[in-house]
Formats: sequence, structure tokens, C-alpha cells
Amino acid sequence: MNNLRLAWILLRRDIKNGELSLLLLALIIAVTASATIGLFADRLQRTMTAQAGQFLAGDLALSGSQLLPETIPQYANTLGLQQAQTAEFSTMLMEKQQMLLVAAKAVSSHYPLRGQLKIQRDNQEQISEQGPLVGEAWVDGRVLNALQIQLGDKIQLGEHWLTVSAQLNYEPDKAGDFYAFLPRVMFNWQDLAATEVIQPGSRVSYAYQFNGSEAVIKQFRELVQHQLPPGQKILDIYQDRPELGTAFRRAERYLGLSSVLVMVLAGVAIAMAAQRYSERHYDAVALLRCLGCRQDRVMMLFALQILMLGGLSCLLGCAFGWLGHNYLLYLLAALMANPLSEPSLSALVIAWASGMLLLLGFALPPLLRLRQVSAVRVLRRDWLPTPISVYLVYGLALGILTVLVAQYSRDHLMTLQLLAGIVVAYGLLSFLIALILKAMQAGIQYLGLSTRLAFKSLLQQQQLTLAQILAFTLTLSAMLLSYSVRNDLILNWQQQLPENTPNYFVINVLPDSKQAFADSLQQAGIQTNTFYPVVRGRLLTINQQTVTQRVSKESQGEAATQRELSLTTVPNLPEDNRIVAGEAWPPDTSGLVSVEQKLADNLGIKVGDVLGFSIGGAQLEVRVSSLRSLQWDTLKPNFYMIFSPGTIEQFPTTWMTSFYLPLAQKQLLNSWHSQFPALSLLDVGQWVEQIKGLLRQLTAAIDYLLCFALVAGVCVLLTSIAASLDQRLYQGALLRTLGASRALLLRIQNLEFALLGGVSGLLAVGIAELVRFIVYQKLLQLDFGLIWQYWLVLPSLATLIVVLAARWGLRPVLKYSPLRVFRQG
Amino acid sequence: MKPFLKQSFQEELIITENLGKRVSTHEGDLDILSGIQLKLGAGDSLAIVGESGSGKSTLLGLLAGLDLPTQGRVLIAGQDLSRMNEDQRAELRNLWVGFVFQSFQLLPALTALENVMLPLELRADRHAQEKASHLLERVGLAHRLQHQARQLSGGEQQRVALARAFVTQPAILFADEPTGNLDSKTGARITELLFELNQEQATTLILVTHDARLAGLCQRQLQLEAGRQI
Repeated sequence: MNNLRLAWILLRRDIKNGELSLLLLALIIAVTASATIGLFADRLQRTMTAQAGQFLAGDLALSGSQLLPETIPQYANTLGLQQAQTAEFSTMLMEKQQMLLVAAKAVSSHYPLRGQLKIQRDNQEQISEQGPLVGEAWVDGRVLNALQIQLGDKIQLGEHWLTVSAQLNYEPDKAGDFYAFLPRVMFNWQDLAATEVIQPGSRVSYAYQFNGSEAVIKQFRELVQHQLPPGQKILDIYQDRPELGTAFRRAERYLGLSSVLVMVLAGVAIAMAAQRYSERHYDAVALLRCLGCRQDRVMMLFALQILMLGGLSCLLGCAFGWLGHNYLLYLLAALMANPLSEPSLSALVIAWASGMLLLLGFALPPLLRLRQVSAVRVLRRDWLPTPISVYLVYGLALGILTVLVAQYSRDHLMTLQLLAGIVVAYGLLSFLIALILKAMQAGIQYLGLSTRLAFKSLLQQQQLTLAQILAFTLTLSAMLLSYSVRNDLILNWQQQLPENTPNYFVINVLPDSKQAFADSLQQAGIQTNTFYPVVRGRLLTINQQTVTQRVSKESQGEAATQRELSLTTVPNLPEDNRIVAGEAWPPDTSGLVSVEQKLADNLGIKVGDVLGFSIGGAQLEVRVSSLRSLQWDTLKPNFYMIFSPGTIEQFPTTWMTSFYLPLAQKQLLNSWHSQFPALSLLDVGQWVEQIKGLLRQLTAAIDYLLCFALVAGVCVLLTSIAASLDQRLYQGALLRTLGASRALLLRIQNLEFALLGGVSGLLAVGIAELVRFIVYQKLLQLDFGLIWQYWLVLPSLATLIVVLAARWGLRPVLKYSPLRVFRQG
Repeated sequence: MKPFLKQSFQEELIITENLGKRVSTHEGDLDILSGIQLKLGAGDSLAIVGESGSGKSTLLGLLAGLDLPTQGRVLIAGQDLSRMNEDQRAELRNLWVGFVFQSFQLLPALTALENVMLPLELRADRHAQEKASHLLERVGLAHRLQHQARQLSGGEQQRVALARAFVTQPAILFADEPTGNLDSKTGARITELLFELNQEQATTLILVTHDARLAGLCQRQLQLEAGRQI
């Protein structure tokens, strides 16, 4: 108890004297970041788990372009599972001479098995546990506005009339696919046959939902997954609702790793602050030992202080993190489900524990030196405790990092890869910095006094210099990478699109309407891209091997083999398609196909391979004549598979193209719907705006999180400046004693920190550009271009920031009286 | 020609007039020094002696222009230090003054040669290296030019400090307990070197010391007791 009270007294005194300000700040930043991200990710995960079923409208869902074989629903019956089904297709609604392309969805009586529908009647929103009754239809607001109808009016869907009985506001399993762009109409399954809309060859998306206990669902899944016909699959929230599943998982992982970055930087700041704290207590500890305090009691006193300090600052960090995560939720509101699950206490506990772990891991080695301080130091102030083993220092740091990264990545392979990357990056950077310092040493004799003294100051404490440069470089490169990727993804993409970039895609143009439609566009003065013939088919085999055996999970290849592809044929490949392997086909040669390069890589397709397709029930084999690269961001039609002329002409074909429709000519859409009822017009301009909005939100969130990294980086900067303050005060006073002016001292200081900032800035640009190159080539498939402005701006900015911070942090050096040189004795 | 030379300093290089230093403490004002009257000519040597806390280091600081008095004034070569700003006093120190400290006060990042060159470089002397090498040779450290301060023994460090103090051929040399951190044998050698160099350069020497033998080597002694001259 005596120890606790004494430790508390000493701690309060040190805090009051400002001895622990930077250490406190670094720890609070680290825990705040960890708590912010931890709470956010926790709520995300809990929401996903709680509402996963709702997003699929059932515990398990199957979907496909065909009706399920009867055996499967019968088997579900025998297992006692609840069942529901839906059929979704695009069609024309007709009302008062108006026509409108809609996404129509027929739902069976138990739909939705999970989640709820939200409808509106008499301006009041209501929850509904089931879909519309027979003879009724629910439509969304766009239908009401476009057709100028009200509740109670009748609409004709195909050959059947339905009464509009409510406005549809929300359906739990509305996916982010093609149908999501269209106005919605929901009606009863029993009315489906009467509409006569679905004919052989119609494009329909069927979904079957099943509910039951976990064990029974699992049993059912195990049976059906091997019995599903081609074109049918089991829906998984992470794959089939990517806007919810994979994206969230990746976002969670990214956020977690951002938190690790902040903690690493904070750890460096904590280590430096603890080092200074320790050094400034050597005299006090020597005196305590001289007065009879035992070694273990000395350690107990400091350990208690650190634990109290850590405990309190981590609590404060958790409180700030609570506030911080709410702001993050606000930034990402559009991505969030509603309602969001309440956070659990475990996220806060983990953040608190991470902070304590960080403190102990990075502050422990310097504090252990206090244990070795001998009483002889009261007589000989030059006596110093022996340095702690380098293995202990780095081993602890690496150990802490491993725990943190593993916790946030939840992926052993990724943890190993990241740690390996960190070790390699640290080694490489250290080597580069050592080379730079050696070069400085070699050339130092040729430099003027102030430059030489500045260099000497850096060279004198190489470990400190190394730590400073590493920390600044890490912070700056992370921020630059985020900025440049964000710019390239959003701004350049939008800025580089020509003025009349297509904002509409038109598909399902029937062969006998094609010419008339093209003429109509021409008469309206609208320039179109090429009309492409489209045939729907599915890739089944590669060199007689089924494709499912060649794909890896979650790859682009897997997605392409799970559904029908739009196949086309042209005499010559489109202009912006570039052959990267093989050759263009000779004229009048059928039976050849050109494959998109990335898909080919994912599926292991090479030139000369034989691909087997299923098209309209018939089988077709073709040989790969070339691989192509595409430009996906031009908003022109792009195809994974392009066949040589004469290969697929025998199959039923529709046509597609894209064009730019000015706002002033939007009324043409209605007349086209009337003239050409079968065609489907997709407003991709709206989709582009939605994506841009989403990306803006994500980048705002990323920027917010990077602020933590920036503050942590500033902490490192200030701590490293403070770590050398005593030595600089002495040096400054001595130089002034020998006749140096304040201007000279300032010049030396500015040069030293300009060098620090400049080197860090240059290294940061190098690393950021290298990582950007890898990310663009391997992950994003974007063109990489060197940005020379970065090489100018960032080092200059870094130099300015570091010099100004040093000016502020080292103010006492210029004011320190030279007289103190005498008094130090 | 050294600047600030207003009158012949053959007789009165340093003059103090009723010099005093008062500081504020929790218990009120405290006179660390008061009524110090002093005149020193070129080539004179003065030992300031007294018990601990008698104000010796404070007086040295005032005489060297490292601190400003609260009463009276200090004139060096006719220049009133109180009328100078800090940079002017620094320049004066660089041109006129040399220092030797008890704990050597070398810059650890610099070699022995660089430490001695430093005051010359501060005045942009082109022959700094040559002069510094010569002086280090003079103090017997020709073989240690490129060694850093921490690689030198206490006696060697003090010899480097002596070389640094004399390399600018100062008019005045201040020494604060120059042998305080040395064993008696090394201290004796340092004392010998100090006075040899002082004689060679005809420097005015002001020495603070507890060592009676060292004090006895000076021409004059100024005894301080509780901040007053006795």
C-alpha cells in the first residue's frame, strides 16, 4: 500500500511537470484509434451476423435462371423446412398510354421468411410480414410518378391486371444487380402465370428461400449443393451480396490494419518518450538506492506508475474512441444497414488491452534500465546503466506487433505476410538510411560549419535518427498512398472520361428492331457506339476439364463461371481492345474465340486451349486464338469472350450498344419504350453517380482514419525532438559561450531538421510509389504512371513540417542561458 | 585590430564598478554578489577564492558576459557589457575570451581537432585546422587529433579544452576549477600547461579555484564571502 501511494505521488508530480505528456498523448492516440475502429468493426460484424438471413430473406437461399427441379423443394418439405420463392424479371408496364420498363418480382405466400417488407399507405409507412395478396401489386415511388398513378389504380402487367394497393419502400433481399436500377413492382406468385410474361427463353432470376434450425439447414445444404443443375447456386451473403459481404469484410480488414499502423507509430513515440523518462530518472533512482531503497522496490515503484498511467490513459482513449466511432458511422452512413447492432463491451476491452500491451512492450526495455542504476551515480554522474539487449527490445516490439496484426487481420497467412513485409521494409529502410548517413559522413569535411554541425548532430545519435526517419517515412508514405490511390480511382477516372461518355446502355434490342432503333438514334442526332450481337451462354469446360476445378474462391474467374456470360462476335476486335497473346483471327475463320486477359489468368486459359460452352442447351467448342486487355472505364460495351465471325450466328441473338443522351433529350426514353417495348435501357450515369458517392464516403472515412496516423506521426516527431532536448540545450549553451550567435544556432537546427524531413519525404515517396505500382498491377488493374510532382511536393512539405515542429519544440535552446554551462559543473 | 577597442588596455583590461547580482526567491530578494570592485590589466592573473556558495561562479559569469549584473557594470576594454545584447556579447566572447571549465565541456560529437577548431570557425578563420593542430601538438595530443571526446581520458579532455581556450589567442582567459575533476598528478600537469600557455600569449587569467596552491600561482587573489569582497 505504501508503494502504491508513493507511486501515485511520484506519478502525479511527473505529470504535473510535463515529464509524461508525450507518452500520454501517444498512448491515448493509439487506444482511441483502436477503439474507434474496433467498435465500428464490431458493430458491423454483429449487424452482418444478426441480419444475414434478412439480406437473403431466409436462412438459406438458392438462385438461378431456371426453376428448381421438384426434388429439391420436396426434400425441403420432408425435412420440415419453411419455403418461399420469388421470380424477378424486367418487363413493360402499361398505363394510360404510358409505358415503363420495370423490374417485376413475383413472391410466394411465405415471403419473406426472414426480414420484413416496408410499404406505405396513406402517407404512413408500415411493416409487412408477407407480400401482396392475389390480384394486388406494390410499386415503388418511381412507378407512381412515371405513370402518374395512385393507390387503387389498376396497372397491366403482361396480360393481367393488378390493383396497386401500396407503395413499396423496402424489401430485405433487394440485390445490387441489374434489376436494382429499375423501378420495382411486386405481386403475388399466383398471378404470375396469368401475366403470360414468362416464355421459353425469357430472362428470369428465380430465388428459393428456406428456413429451419441450424442443423437441418446444414443437412439440406450438404445435400443440395451437389444436386444443383447448371445455372443454380446457393446464395452466400459474402459472395452474392458483395455490397454487404466481401466489401465489409475487406473494409473491416483494412480498418483493422490502419489501426495497427497507428499503434506502431504510437509505439515508437512511446519508446522514445519512455527512454527520455528513464534517463531523466537515473539521478532520482541513484539517490533512492543511496538512501536504502532496494532494487526490486525501485522497479515496483516505476512499474506501478506505468500501470496506473497506462490504465488511466487507455480508459481515456476508449472514451474518445466511443465518440470517434460514431463519427465514422456518420461518414459511412450510406453503407450501413439500418438498424445497426449495439456495440459490445468486448471491443472496448480489446482496445484497452491493446493499449496496455503496447505500453508494456515499448516502454518496458527503457524502464528496465532503471533497475540497474547504481548508487555510485550520486558521486559519478557519468556512470550509466548498461544498455538493454537489442534482442529484447526488438523481440518485444515484434511480439507485440504479431499479436496486434493477428488480432485485426484474423488471417494467419496475412499476419505472416504483413510481418515479413514489415521486417523486410524495416531492414531495407534501415540499410538505405545507414547508406545515406555514411555518405553524409564521407562528405562532411567539405561542408561549412553550420551544415557540418547539423550533420554531426544527426550522426551522433544514429539510432535516434534512424527511428525518426523510419517513423516519418511510414506516416508520410501511408498518407501519400491513400491520397494518390483515391485520386486515381475517383478524380482521374471521372476527369479522364470524354465529355460525351455514354450514360446509357441499351440491351435486348431485337433483330427486327435494330435498324429502326439505330435510325431513330441517328434522327435524334445521337451518336452510338457499335451495335454488338449478344448471345447468352455459359462456359463449362476448358480442354475437356470442367471449369469449377480450375477456379479459386472469390476470384473473378469463379464469378464468371457461376453465371451465363454475354457472348458476342465481330469481324475485328474493338479499337480499345489490345491483343496481349496470340493473334487476330484470319478473315472467314470460324470456331475461334478471343478471351479477356484477366479472366484468362484466373482460369488458366492459354492461346490454343479449347473452351466448351453451353448456349441455349446446345454445346459449342471453340479454340482460343488470342488474349486481350480491355479498358473497363470507358463505359463502352466490353466482353469477356468475343467469337470469330460464323461461330455463334446460328443462336438466338439480341443486340446491345451504348450512347450519350443529353438531359434535354430525356423525353426520347418514353417514345423508345413505346416504339421498342422489348429493349432495356440502363441509366449508367445514375450508377456512376452512385459509385462516385460511395467512393467519396469511403475516402472520407479513410481520410478520417489517416488523421489518427498523422497525429501519431506528429507524436513521434515531437517525442524525438524532446528526446534530444537536454543534449541540444547543453550544446547550444556551449556554442553561445564560445561566441556563436543565436542565428547560427537556428541555422544549425534548421539544417538538421530540414535534412531529416527531406530524407523522410524522399523515402516516403519512393515507398508509396513502389506500393502503388504493386497495388495497381496486382490488385486494381489500373495503369501506373509516375507522378513527378510527388517527388517535389512531399519532401518539401515534410521538410517544412519537421523544421517548424523543431522550431516550436526547441524554443528553450535559444533561450538557455550559457551561464548554466558553468552551473552544470 | 580587434573590434570594440576604444582605449588602451595596457593597464585596465577589465573593470568592475560596484558590481552586484540580486535574485528573487520565495523568501524575498537575495544578493548573491554585491559591491565588487575590480581592475585587471593585460597579462594579470587573478584567483577568485571562497567557500562554496560565496558567489565565485556568479562573478565569473558576470565578468565573462554570460550574465548581466543587477547592480554596477563590467567594462572589458572600455566596453560596458550591460549595453550589449546577447549576440554582441557572444561576438565579444569569441574575439576576446577563452574558457576552461571544470568538466571540460567538449562537444561529444566532434573530434579533438574539431573541438579546438570550433572557436576559430565561428569567426570564419581560414587557417583553423592548421592552428588547431599546432595547439594540440603543443599540449601533447598530436596523436589524438581524430579521436572523439568520449574516447579521451579526463586529463586528455582537459588538454583539448586548454587548446580550445588558447587557440583564438584570447585577451582574457576564464578558468572555472580547471583541475577540479582531475587527480593530483594530472591536475598538476594541467596547471603547468595553463600557466605556460598563459605566459606565452600574455593573456589575462581569471581563475576560480578551491585549490590554495593553484590560487597561489596567481599574481592576485580576490576572496569572496557571502557575495562580498573581503
